[in-house]
Amino acid sequence: MKSFLEIFLGILTAMGGFVEIGELVFSVNAGVKFRYNLLWIEVLGTVGIIVFSEMSGRVAAVTGQPVFSLIRQRDGYGAGLLTLIAANAVSLLTCVAEIGGLALLLKLLFGGNYFVLAIIALVGLLAAVWFLSFQAIERIFGMLGLCLLVFVGAALYLGPSWSEAANGLIPNIPQVETKQDYWLYAYFAVALMSSIMLPYEVYFYASGAIEDGWNASMINANRMIILVGFPLGSLLAVALMFCGASYFNPQMVEPQLPGTAALAPAAAFGKWGLSLAIVGMFFAFGGAAIENALTGAYNLAQFLGWNWGKYRTPKDAPRFHLAWILMFVVAAVTVMTGVDPVEVVEYSIIFAVVILPLTYLPVLLAASDEDYMGPFKNGWLAAILGWAYFVLICIAALAAIPLLIITHGGKG
Amino acid sequence: MSEHHLDMVRQVLDRQVVDVNHIYCGKVDNIVIDLEGKPRITGILIGNGPASDRLPEFARWLSRKLFGQRRTKIPWEEILVIKDVVKLASEAKTYGIDERQGWAFDLVSKFPGAWKK
Repeated sequence: MKSFLEIFLGILTAMGGFVEIGELVFSVNAGVKFRYNLLWIEVLGTVGIIVFSEMSGRVAAVTGQPVFSLIRQRDGYGAGLLTLIAANAVSLLTCVAEIGGLALLLKLLFGGNYFVLAIIALVGLLAAVWFLSFQAIERIFGMLGLCLLVFVGAALYLGPSWSEAANGLIPNIPQVETKQDYWLYAYFAVALMSSIMLPYEVYFYASGAIEDGWNASMINANRMIILVGFPLGSLLAVALMFCGASYFNPQMVEPQLPGTAALAPAAAFGKWGLSLAIVGMFFAFGGAAIENALTGAYNLAQFLGWNWGKYRTPKDAPRFHLAWILMFVVAAVTVMTGVDPVEVVEYSIIFAVVILPLTYLPVLLAASDEDYMGPFKNGWLAAILGWAYFVLICIAALAAIPLLIITHGGKG
Repeated sequence: MSEHHLDMVRQVLDRQVVDVNHIYCGKVDNIVIDLEGKPRITGILIGNGPASDRLPEFARWLSRKLFGQRRTKIPWEEILVIKDVVKLASEAKTYGIDERQGWAFDLVSKFPGAWKK
């Protein structure tokens, strides 16, 4: 068991890293459109990410093997390759969205050319990952992401409607005007859940556990970090929804750009609120961009048997280090083609949910496998929750594309 | 153990290969069986060539176009241990599968600070 301090830091990191651009777009807008009605999805999604992250962390700690190594061993080369391509496509898309979000924030702060700002964001990210250790990256971006706590303050200050929120905790279908609005509600439910359960989080968590040198003695610390850190992190997402419901909804404002969300803390706390929100978003997007680039490289290296990990020098793991550099560069170039980052967020979230079953099933199977896990294989609770969520994400995956089309990408 | 047996598919194929110093050097992409005379396993194959052999035709073609068809055969006698990983008896570079020889290494080495963690 590691020290109390390390667990505490792990919890803060998990909390600060929970929210990224997907939540910032979908939680706020879900609040604007449906007030507190979708709160139950935030809870559902949070429990889901807890279930699968705990499994992947446990598998990594017990077997010392990262998820993609096990995927290839269990499922063979062909099926494994398919999973790899799907997972990395989503990571790349998410990375594009985060870098686009960073460029938008920089534009909001300093003005200037969007393309130049995307390059600045790229250089900053490359330098951060190249020069900082894994632990430093995790801590710096996780801790500064905690500036987003200002949204919790703003949500409380702006006075949420607690009775409405309490009702929203129960799965419900609101009374809406048109049939189209029901589809829109379903679309937001699926997208919100996907934004919380993005597959890269599970892969990154497992590889990070190996970067940190975990072994079977870390299983309880792993549980504690996840069980405390993720719910605290999801409070941030809930706060975003509250701000959407109590601040933007009455004004009939639909914040399209992620930076607009910062107006809620600005209204509550003035300049300081605004600054904290922007700094928090900056590190949340940056952290998520890094996690996605590294996840792509981890997956590839683990699948192909390369030396991998930030704990290895670039000279000892040249292909791995080139792989994450390539992820960043391809993502930034995509941003520079002028795609709308918010649209990329939407597509990445919907595409992610489509492949969610493909990426989560191997984790579930590996964690249930007695050959690999011995006495640490899934207990009854993890097994029941794991399979229940698997059914749920399969339904969400089937519904995602039709809903995207019916609602015209959430525009109703 | 009363009976020694090895499940080639579950315990060897697709496992991580490491050299004698525990440097990673790819996966067991295929297994070589000599069918002349008495059938016997003669080695393992590493590289995109043997890996893509296992794909459907179009995917195989695409994979080879993109990633080449390198093929390294490691004689079965060179395998030291088969556990979570397949460990070889010598250093990776003696088999020509060391990542630190090749263009990726040459490129990365040029970046400032490539020696540090």
